[in-house]
Amino acid sequence: MNVEINDLTRRFGRTRAVDGVDLRTGPGVLGLLGPNGAGKTSLLRMIATVIPPSSGTLRLLERDPGAAGPRREIRRRLGYLPQDLGYYPGFTVVDFVEYFALLKEVPPARVPAAVAAAVERVGLGDKAKSKLRTLSGGMLRRAGIAQAIVNDPELLLFDEPTAGLDPEQRVEFRTLLRDLGTRATVVVSTHLVEDVGAACGEVVLMHQGRIAFQGTPEQLTARGEGHGTGDAPLERGYSAVLAEARS
Amino acid sequence: MNSAPGRVPDGPEPDLERVWLGVASEVWRRRPGPCERLAARALRSPGLARALLTTPSLLLPWLVASVLVFALGAVASVGTGQPVVALAAPALAAVAVAYAYGPGLDPAWELSRSMAVSDRSVLLARVLAVFALDAALGLLASAVSGAAAAVAFGWLAPMTAVSALALAVATTARSPNAGAAAGMGAWAIAVLSGQSATGRVAEAVTGSAFVLPCLALAAGCSVVVLVMTRTPKGLS
Repeated sequence: MNVEINDLTRRFGRTRAVDGVDLRTGPGVLGLLGPNGAGKTSLLRMIATVIPPSSGTLRLLERDPGAAGPRREIRRRLGYLPQDLGYYPGFTVVDFVEYFALLKEVPPARVPAAVAAAVERVGLGDKAKSKLRTLSGGMLRRAGIAQAIVNDPELLLFDEPTAGLDPEQRVEFRTLLRDLGTRATVVVSTHLVEDVGAACGEVVLMHQGRIAFQGTPEQLTARGEGHGTGDAPLERGYSAVLAEARS
Repeated sequence: MNSAPGRVPDGPEPDLERVWLGVASEVWRRRPGPCERLAARALRSPGLARALLTTPSLLLPWLVASVLVFALGAVASVGTGQPVVALAAPALAAVAVAYAYGPGLDPAWELSRSMAVSDRSVLLARVLAVFALDAALGLLASAVSGAAAAVAFGWLAPMTAVSALALAVATTARSPNAGAAAGMGAWAIAVLSGQSATGRVAEAVTGSAFVLPCLALAAGCSVVVLVMTRTPKGLS
């Protein structure tokens, strides 16, 4: 198991953003669904080792992120795309991806090839030497995805990765997700149900910091039969589970 | 095996994608400058060296502004006979240190916190570099202005203290603005209280009474910084 979470809780003041979550997952693509404020981003930030849990245990890539040495090893094998990706306006796409390759301690001799592969993989080859300040929102998002995959990670965390991408780019990204999921554990936080249906083998639906549903997209779809609201079967399953959690 | 001219030789198809990636990696490769190479050797980390060179208060506009302020201070010191450089150096260093690293300053701060090169290492490398640069500029400006050695070195202890205070407040409040304000405010209070006690504006940089409290404050603030940037025990 690449991610093992037991009774994980994260509090911000008196608010429990994540409340007693248990989760175990191996290679494949796991979609993290839920309405705004459900705790998806907080859970993802804990898995990214950005914030510590308030209680519970977390093991990543069979290591304990609480100890300095294992945490560093986890981070070398981790790819993370935060919801709000900051960027250095004066950097080119290649500068940006290379910067994070170096911070992930990719061996310097391998960095140029790894950067070129990541930039090409997200379709930014023709913008490789363009300054980030000249790129559109969708292109910046793809530069963010490139930095996340530059170290060929075993654990990939994407927070709203398709925000700002046009429909064609979203389809391409889902293909990339499926490809990445054949070797790595990919956790994708999104509120776009269609992304999950198209790319994820497993779905976790969060509500008020807790897991309201965990299973396959087909199982979520089945929960919506005859219930729920929504245009697509998966959306009906999503709304049916949420309605049940709220009642 | 020879093949006829113009004929494609038999054998496996070349992997064009791989060839292209090899070409692209060479064409796009960034050549680190001498400063980055030197820093990478000194810090034994290319990532840390790159992070050092993206320090907001080490970027060219900030460096030019710092050099200008110290140069003007040196000119004013010569013209007025007052230790302007000595009085300005701690405040300048405090602001530069506060603006070395942190949320709101470093565009990819959130992302940097998930990196193998820890944000604490980045913070410490940046702060030391900024402090060393400001100290060197201050010493140079003091030497140019012909300040007495006691005055020239008198500001080093206060500079250390207010810089450490600025850093401690910036990391605790997660706000570089708060850190800069704390550093400058503390220095202004020290200068004004020295002046009101002795009638001399330069008392804060010439009076030996300030040295020990300054060093104690710097030590205390350093502990605060180390505590605030440690990895929380609850991570696992």
